[in-house]
Amino acid sequence: MDEPEIKAAVKTYILNEYLPGEDPAALTDTTELMTTGILDSIAVLKVVTFLESHFGITLEPHEAVVENLNTLSAIARLVMSKKA
Amino acid sequence: MRSPARDDISFAEIIQIVAGAQRWGVISENRIIPMNFELTPEQQTLQKAAIEFAGSELNSNVIERDARQIFSREGWQKCASFGVQGMPLPKEYGGRGAGPITTIAMMEGLGYGGSDQGLLFAINAHMWTCSIPLLKYGTPAQKEKYLPGLCDGRLIGANGASEPNAGSDIFSMQTRVTKDGSDYVLNGRKIFVTNAPVADLFVLYATVDPQLGAAGISGFVIEKGTAGLRTGERKDKMGLRTALMAEVVLENCRVPATALLGREGRGAEVFHYSMAWERACILATCLGTMRRQLERCINYARARTQFGQPIGKFQSVANRIVDMKLRYEAARLLIYKTGWLMQENKSADMDAAMAKLYVSESFVKSCLDAIQIHGGSGFMTELELEREMRDSVGSTLYSGTSEIQRNIIARGLRL
Repeated sequence: MDEPEIKAAVKTYILNEYLPGEDPAALTDTTELMTTGILDSIAVLKVVTFLESHFGITLEPHEAVVENLNTLSAIARLVMSKKA
Repeated sequence: MRSPARDDISFAEIIQIVAGAQRWGVISENRIIPMNFELTPEQQTLQKAAIEFAGSELNSNVIERDARQIFSREGWQKCASFGVQGMPLPKEYGGRGAGPITTIAMMEGLGYGGSDQGLLFAINAHMWTCSIPLLKYGTPAQKEKYLPGLCDGRLIGANGASEPNAGSDIFSMQTRVTKDGSDYVLNGRKIFVTNAPVADLFVLYATVDPQLGAAGISGFVIEKGTAGLRTGERKDKMGLRTALMAEVVLENCRVPATALLGREGRGAEVFHYSMAWERACILATCLGTMRRQLERCINYARARTQFGQPIGKFQSVANRIVDMKLRYEAARLLIYKTGWLMQENKSADMDAAMAKLYVSESFVKSCLDAIQIHGGSGFMTELELEREMRDSVGSTLYSGTSEIQRNIIARGLRL
């Protein structure tokens, strides 16, 4: 699975769970998810659970931080690094 | 929903329309009548049994036990024998394997028939914040060890999350956990722990680093008697006085790795899961009480005569009862819809928050209305309405205050 596919899967998940009815084009690779409140603390945990189950990776508590989860691009990089 | 939505369409016409739609493949057989607001015959039977059970087994000396803050272990055991504590848990652990709607139906029946709100609250706390997270996140060994006892009444569960400086902002908790070899060592203080004075098992949350917020929290299941864990003085409180509450103090409380509930750093997920269940189900007993109060007020307003006519004929009295009826019906829809969403494995966070908010605030209002309708008599302890009013206030506070529920709903609306 390459980076665009990871972004697409995460984007679909976030649109369905946290932005229902939102124009998909409004959620870009650089849209800030945590710092704008799209993902609150519980939503972040749910995203982490989704990433683990969907991509077969394991994330540690210290990895569930804004640097890794604030944008689709950052999430994709995190997943890629875990799968490498 | 079986009745036509418009008055000018007959039921026979609707059947014709549906049949036509089926022939053309617009709707399929299994999509006819997708909404049904009735409980199944089995659920109705269970609810009726719960009403009779609670009415005959749980209501003795409640006024005295409320005044003296006495928890009924006997009532607890009777509930376990009836199957209350094990209702949503799998049969392999001694439960009944019921889904959320059936469980809610039973709890509504208990609230209708039973007047010991404190005992029912204690059971709710035990089920939703101890048994349910153990079922979801417990290891096979933890489930095997604890769930049978949590079902059959031998064990009483408690949950410790709130702290002096972490109430609504729960993930700012300061109770620390450090790792020492394969053990964990916990230090801190939990407040408002329902069942603490009588609990055998505690689900407790602690953080490895407060700076990590939700990501730093881990859940633990710790037995009574573990060195370093002690319960503080029993707390006096306004209502739900037959449910006992105290602090839990952790002082170098060392537990083995087998006490970890869920994964390290995923305690917030465990807590969130238990809160979702609790918000959805804990007010089902209050719903039953609202229905009982409504019927009681209707009967009273019909029988009580003043100025030569039943007081129900006075609009100021009738309007109160109408409002009680509306609140009950709306509350019922919200709770059962939330149960349905959970049963369908659909996201229920916002719906559970709406149910929690609306039912709790409606419960308080209806309790006050019931007192007002009964006049001076309603103010007297012997009628038990004043106790129910005191009990109701807690519902706007536990499992997240009304303010927090509004925050959750606003977030769900992307505000």
